[in-house]
Amino acid sequence: MWLASKIKQVLMVAKPGVVTLKYPFAPHPAPENYRGAPHWDHTKCVGCAGCANHCPARTILVRDLCQEIRVLLYDGARCTYCGRCAEVCPEKAITMTPRFEQATSDRNDITESLELFMLTCGRCGRCYDMEKTNAIDKLGLTGYRYDSLEARTVLRRATDTFQPKELDRTERYERPETTGD
Amino acid sequence: MDALTRIETELRSRLGPAVQGLSSPQPGRLFVDVERRALRPAAKALIDLGARYMVGIGWDEIARNGTIGLAHTFAFDADHVAVVLRAAAPAGDPSFESITPDIPSAGWSEREYQDLLGLTFTGHPKPKRLVLADDWPAGVYPLRKEVPYNLEPPAAEDVAYRLDEAPPGTTVVPIGPFHLSLHEPEHFAVYVDGETIKGCDYRGFMTHRGIEKLCQTQVSYNEVPFVAERICGICGSVHACCYSQAVEAAAGLKISRRAEYIRTIMLEIERLHSHLLWLGIAGHLIGFDTVFMQAWRVREKVMWLAERITGNRKTYGMIVIGGVRRDITPEIRAGIEDVLAALEKEVLELKRAIIGDSAIHRRTKGVGYLSKEEAVRWSLVGPVARARGLRLDVRKDHPYAAYDDMAFDVPVADSGDVWGTLVVRVLEIFESISILRQALAGMPAGPLLIEAPEALPPLRHGLSMVEAPRGESVHYVITGEENRPERWRVRAPTYPNLQAVPQMLLDNQFADFPIILGQIDPCFSCTDRVAVIDAGSGRRRILGRTELEALSRGPEAGRSRS
Amino acid sequence: MSIAAVFVNVLVFLLLAPLFDGVLRKTTARVQTRQGPPIVQPYYDLFKLLGKERINSARNWAFKLAPPAAFASILAVVALIPFGGKVNALGGRVDAVTVIYLLTLGGVSVLLGALASRNTFAAIGASREMVTMVMIEPILAMTLILGAARSRSLGLGAAVFGAAGPGYGAAAAVMLVVYLLALQAFVAKQPFDIAEAEIEVLEGPFIEYSGPDYGLFRYAMMMKQMFYAWLFVAVFLPFLRTGHYLGDILTQLLGTLAVFILIAVVGSTNPRLRIDQAVKIYAVLILIALGAVGLAVAGV
Repeated sequence: MWLASKIKQVLMVAKPGVVTLKYPFAPHPAPENYRGAPHWDHTKCVGCAGCANHCPARTILVRDLCQEIRVLLYDGARCTYCGRCAEVCPEKAITMTPRFEQATSDRNDITESLELFMLTCGRCGRCYDMEKTNAIDKLGLTGYRYDSLEARTVLRRATDTFQPKELDRTERYERPETTGD
Repeated sequence: MDALTRIETELRSRLGPAVQGLSSPQPGRLFVDVERRALRPAAKALIDLGARYMVGIGWDEIARNGTIGLAHTFAFDADHVAVVLRAAAPAGDPSFESITPDIPSAGWSEREYQDLLGLTFTGHPKPKRLVLADDWPAGVYPLRKEVPYNLEPPAAEDVAYRLDEAPPGTTVVPIGPFHLSLHEPEHFAVYVDGETIKGCDYRGFMTHRGIEKLCQTQVSYNEVPFVAERICGICGSVHACCYSQAVEAAAGLKISRRAEYIRTIMLEIERLHSHLLWLGIAGHLIGFDTVFMQAWRVREKVMWLAERITGNRKTYGMIVIGGVRRDITPEIRAGIEDVLAALEKEVLELKRAIIGDSAIHRRTKGVGYLSKEEAVRWSLVGPVARARGLRLDVRKDHPYAAYDDMAFDVPVADSGDVWGTLVVRVLEIFESISILRQALAGMPAGPLLIEAPEALPPLRHGLSMVEAPRGESVHYVITGEENRPERWRVRAPTYPNLQAVPQMLLDNQFADFPIILGQIDPCFSCTDRVAVIDAGSGRRRILGRTELEALSRGPEAGRSRS
Repeated sequence: MSIAAVFVNVLVFLLLAPLFDGVLRKTTARVQTRQGPPIVQPYYDLFKLLGKERINSARNWAFKLAPPAAFASILAVVALIPFGGKVNALGGRVDAVTVIYLLTLGGVSVLLGALASRNTFAAIGASREMVTMVMIEPILAMTLILGAARSRSLGLGAAVFGAAGPGYGAAAAVMLVVYLLALQAFVAKQPFDIAEAEIEVLEGPFIEYSGPDYGLFRYAMMMKQMFYAWLFVAVFLPFLRTGHYLGDILTQLLGTLAVFILIAVVGSTNPRLRIDQAVKIYAVLILIALGAVGLAVAGV
């Protein structure tokens, strides 16, 4: 029983040979339809902020710097490569590239930013993309994030409903004598 | 008389007017509202009727009506029915009678809401802190709505969890917070007498990411599946599917049959992947690294498959509310069939090579034994329960996705030990391959995604179960008003199974600890997902080597270097 | 010349022990269908470990003393042995019992370090190591006593080469099987790597060691493994002897290489045993070994 199993095991391991790759030294390309790092095509982007609104990781920020300039900032450090942004983009400006070797010591390597020149709407005063005349209805301006990607922090939103005295309590709280009792 | 009526009559006859309401908005689900004082008798009545306890859910309704809600969910597996027992307590006196004395596996659910919502449970046998960090301030309950999701109370260094009293004559071996056989930070204090385990205390929940709170306050319905996937590193599709089903159930959304088939395919691919992964880990845990490497070599094919289907080596990013995101094209289908054929051959070879190996038998047979009665008492799920003779499988008992169309067996072993779980899992691999073939052959045409209505109706309750590779995952959703769930409760299969581990460890050898824990395929991050923000994470402190040394040596040791 | 042989012994063992460990790792990797580390990886590891800062995390002299003591004792063993088929200047002055004592000293040093490090896992590892030592040293002793009994001398050369010296007796054949079965325990590989079981007790006795101290332990372990593999070749494979000093060195090294490959294959196709299971196997082995010695004394 034991010996038969050992022989079977040796046979099993003899067949496949060596299957691990010399990976970092030999390239290993990703397959078709791979969801790697997203990439923005600035010629197609209309600045609608749909990607920012649908990003589950909240890692895309769209902000107006001034009346004419809208900035899009993508921070790859928090990206989960789900591809939701590429899916919702109405202009197909976002592609999921096959890039997966994203480890870096410099955050800027995996950050993308676009500066988009916008026109001002004569009726409402908001800005819209100058190249696509029908883009006004795509300005889904609701739901802009409070996140500050420049400061790399998530701003608090729920504090307006939080009782400030709760925080006071947490600063001079009494530690439990025995935990949980 | 069908099961629903039988349960209803029994509850009404036992509790009388304490049953305030009964409804069955979806087939196979019964929501029962009871008075607070009747919660324990009602739970007892259900258990007496043969129910299996699933999980407790607590939610904050203080702003709406001044109460805190608590629900216990039960499954009648043979009758294909799940019962939700709901009760509420006023915020001023949020106490319930504990049901843990009757149902030991409810212990964690109750302790969880004691921590997170400030409920109190009279008569709880072990009302210790479970979820919150040791230095979390008393009186701040993170799941209450007035607490912001990113609250960072000051960290404290001088508080520690007080372990259970060690049985006389034993020494404590600390397994964790970092230990090779755990793979994730958890702390088991194992009380050993020589090499024999005499007891065990567990302090876990060290990897809280605040997922539930985050999803209840920050992201929207359609974004939650992507967060849900990342509850677990292995059962991504399980959690996304389970959440989506819960929302669809609450909103009354019916998705297309094709999408259901694709979900089935994703779930089975995940099972193949997970079982092969477990087989490897189990080999590693008993010091048999060749099994580890060979099982993972075979597993690689499954990951290759997942990469072609979903665009990533993990089964992430596929399932959303209303359907799935990517189609199974004819090319991919051919690829899956090729891989399945190769996989079947390889797994068969692997099975033949290890199933008769007496060296493996010696390390697994009779190890981590738990009787069938104990397994029922602890509400075990998944392969761990099936290795103890319980024929439990959500795919059969509460069919979802396209499992009602699939013909498959539920392998059951009655040895009650680690070997049983190994056999069950290996046999399930072949069942999975068969299910995948059936799903590919029978997949109807149809849309992938049904658009959800713009606004989902608020305050509807939805309960959904999915058979994850490790056992039953339960998601409970209460729909909210701001395009996001008001309450979303996740219970991974490790949650009930882990509670029974101290029982399984008793009187085993210390050398068997890794595999006894390993047999449940513990996923601590699944278990720990709950709504807590780690108190320490906000404040970073760099410890010098001296401090680290002093920490590891205890306060009495001073600094000295050679 | 025989003084020079001492240096040859020490040099060959110091230089080649890591290489054999590399062979072990490479073979294990092949069984596991991996590329595996380069064959010279153990040299890199030792080089790196020996170059690190020394930390006395237990803060006592015993903790500091244990690694050099273990290293020194195995070094003394290899200096004495009749490597290359020839008893050298030092080996002629001692007998087989000295070698057994020195090997035990190495084991005791590991225990000393483990107990001095005041760690729960090290304590468990030490107790397992102790049991293993008590049960496995007799088999080594009896292997040497067998040779001694057959050649009626406790001299080192007689003990090593006597077992299968004048013809292969039944006693030597039985002892060969016992030695092969115990080999995995001698070199602390699966299924008998119980004391160091990383998954259970996190390298057991060595858990608190790092840097050069750990490096010395590793080095000593590698040399010990090479010693036991060599001993098998020297005792049980007399047909590898050519009669020339250099020729013998070469054939013995090749034999050692083969033994290492065997160790790797057996080690990677077996799960680890529990200590209670292992003890039963050791006990049976000791009984058989006793029988073999009895046969040899009876002159069979």
